[in-house]
Amino acid sequence: MLRRTALTATALLAAGALLLTACTNDVTPAPTQTDVTPDTDASVAVRLVLEPGNLDIRETAGAALDQILVDNVYQGLVSRTPQQDIVPTLASAYEISPDGLTYTFELREGVAFHDGQELTPADVVWSLTQVKENAAYRDSARLSRVDTITAEGQTITLTLSEPDSTLLWNLTGRAGLILKQDDDIDRKTAANGTGPYTLADWKQGDSITFARFADYWGEPAQVAEVVFSYIPDTQAALNGALAGELDVVTGFDANLIDQIEANGDFTVELGESTDKATLAINSTTGPLSDVRVRQAIRQAIDKQSIVDAIGAGQTQYGPIPSLDPGFEDLSAVAPFDPEAARALLAEAGAEDLSLTLTIPSFYGSTIPQILVSNLNDVGITLAVNPVEFPAWINDVYINQDFELSYVLHTEARDFENWANPAYYFTFDNAEVQSLFAQSLSATDDAAAAALLQQAARIVSEEHAADWLYTGASVVAVGTGIAGVPSVNVNERLNLAELVKSQE
Amino acid sequence: MIRYALTRLALLLLGLFVASALIFLTLRILPGDVAQMIAGINSTPEQIAAIRERLGLDAPLIAQYASWMGGIVRGDLGASLVTGTPVASELVQKAQVTVPLGLLSMLIALVIAIPFGVLSALRRGRPDGTALNVGAQALAAVPVVWAGMMLVVVFAVWLGWLPAQGFPRSGWDQPWNALRSLLLPALTIGVIEGAMLLRFVRSATLQAVGQDFVRTGAAKGLTRTQALIRHGLPSVGLSIITVLGLQVAGIIVGTVIIEQLFTLPGIGRMLVTDVGNRDLLKVQGELLVLTGFVLVVGFVVDLVHRVIDPRQREAE
Repeated sequence: MLRRTALTATALLAAGALLLTACTNDVTPAPTQTDVTPDTDASVAVRLVLEPGNLDIRETAGAALDQILVDNVYQGLVSRTPQQDIVPTLASAYEISPDGLTYTFELREGVAFHDGQELTPADVVWSLTQVKENAAYRDSARLSRVDTITAEGQTITLTLSEPDSTLLWNLTGRAGLILKQDDDIDRKTAANGTGPYTLADWKQGDSITFARFADYWGEPAQVAEVVFSYIPDTQAALNGALAGELDVVTGFDANLIDQIEANGDFTVELGESTDKATLAINSTTGPLSDVRVRQAIRQAIDKQSIVDAIGAGQTQYGPIPSLDPGFEDLSAVAPFDPEAARALLAEAGAEDLSLTLTIPSFYGSTIPQILVSNLNDVGITLAVNPVEFPAWINDVYINQDFELSYVLHTEARDFENWANPAYYFTFDNAEVQSLFAQSLSATDDAAAAALLQQAARIVSEEHAADWLYTGASVVAVGTGIAGVPSVNVNERLNLAELVKSQE
Repeated sequence: MIRYALTRLALLLLGLFVASALIFLTLRILPGDVAQMIAGINSTPEQIAAIRERLGLDAPLIAQYASWMGGIVRGDLGASLVTGTPVASELVQKAQVTVPLGLLSMLIALVIAIPFGVLSALRRGRPDGTALNVGAQALAAVPVVWAGMMLVVVFAVWLGWLPAQGFPRSGWDQPWNALRSLLLPALTIGVIEGAMLLRFVRSATLQAVGQDFVRTGAAKGLTRTQALIRHGLPSVGLSIITVLGLQVAGIIVGTVIIEQLFTLPGIGRMLVTDVGNRDLLKVQGELLVLTGFVLVVGFVVDLVHRVIDPRQREAE
């Protein structure tokens, strides 16, 4: 039943995506097809892993904010579906000029903010202008090619100084969120958006509660409230689920699926994600500046055994995961081959190599253990240095003082970091930078993706890093619950379609 | 007596002052800072610098310390660098979980330790006394985390009597629900602390049994148990108060672990999260309050000793 519902939703979204290509459509979220009576007074308890430090969607980084606030509380002119398609949202339709320099959006009427005030074109112009002009705002640089932002009637027009093939996608993220002009709320602890849920309560260090926004412009939420419980420990989440305290468990451990499904109260859904388990290699100094050593490291690591140990996900051999444009199967570039790895190390004169892996301690020991053993097999001694996340940011991200580093990069479409020589990946390749720039300036999506694909192949062939696996979204959904997305939920958890059936 | 109390109070304040400096300095050794955490991993150095400036983190350390202490003297613990919420109000909020949890744990520890400790001393050398003593030794060696997990599996997952994790959002508005969610965590700490305390009670009782005043009481016609209860227990009580005073710090550490395990929104879990966010202004406020609490407990224990124990007063 649950799976069929998910399929229906997928079909609807796919249909929406097809309509989108016509660029003059009016897609309102369709109610989920269920043969049960929704309990409109329901409160749904959702386990999340990571609590945001604060809720300032403008200035505070972290997928933990995007995950719940974007789409549910704050909305943009356009938004993305779990399948990563772009659909109009606060705009009822949009159009891009053939030269890619003018974007026009038709703003919906009758949209209200959570405080009751009506959304006006002035709010849109103000919001986008603020992001563009305030460098301290997250993603400000993503609007750097936007020249003017104007409104005439309900029509919002953006003109660009040069084409930007990523602009529409960027508008589905933080850069495109529409807030109330000159709002005086404290964004760190409160929110005033146009989404289907209002921020009802934040018990810091415990839970965040969303309530149905009765005056929502679209189909109102079918549950009265959603309580996000922040439970970092997987075992505690499992216990909570088994004891009936949770309805949905996100970020679950795929190795415990049998346990949570055992009494029939939960079904685990696996979905694709853009979580890239990235083994960054500092190629600026020492033996790691030798491409043969980097290739040897990649060929020494058995990716399939990592995927097996994690229990979900898939192997990934280049910087772009399969959900993103520009993906290509690059497994032939660095297949698992310890023999070849040993030969490469001998050729590079790097036998008896000792390296240190800096890894935030919350990732646990499963992956470091496999890496130590795999690398030991080819004669590399790997020391593991687990650090607190702030120490990782300081040492690895800011000071680039590391040899190998492991982090799960969740953000979709983030290839830009490979074209940025200042990024902690320490990858500086003129050809990749040029291909990325061309891709940005492309006016055709297919052409842009093809250019990214070329650039990604170079990154992989230069062995700029290794990718241990593409993560899967592992979501356990309780009986009677439907409408929970299963794709890329670390990035976005859009609960507009959430339903709890009456018991 | 009053002179003693005043001297002791001056020491307490001096201790707090030294603690504040130590807390402030040691936290500054931690790598990373809150501006980097707020800016995250797609930030520019300019963005980080702007946040630092806005939060006043670019001021010299001595100026930051002075401004913090200035606030403390005025009774202001400051506000979180991340959320802007006042530290004091967050502490009051979280204390509603941690203080009842600590008290409940202590109560459970005492209920276990006193009767069984005395009993184990009186039955020394007999099979039941030995069994009690060995049992306590074994229990005291159990890791808190493992004990907690076992209790959850049995009472929450299998039997479904008590919640497995979390604290009701309505808090103490529904006292029974709030209490239920604290029972398993308090049992976890209480049983293990109680087992440790039991051994102190046992040895204090054994010591009391050998004291002159108990022997004299027995010689005057009381049974050994009567003599012990009438004349020995006050001296046992003194030892327990001293040990309890010391165990307050242990229970605070226990709550830090247990609040993680049971996902309870208390002071311990808040402290761990705040260190993780490098919200140092908040962390130092929290640590100062906890340190102050432990110091005050020590102060009170010392005063109580003076009042209860005639030997200490006469020694002046």
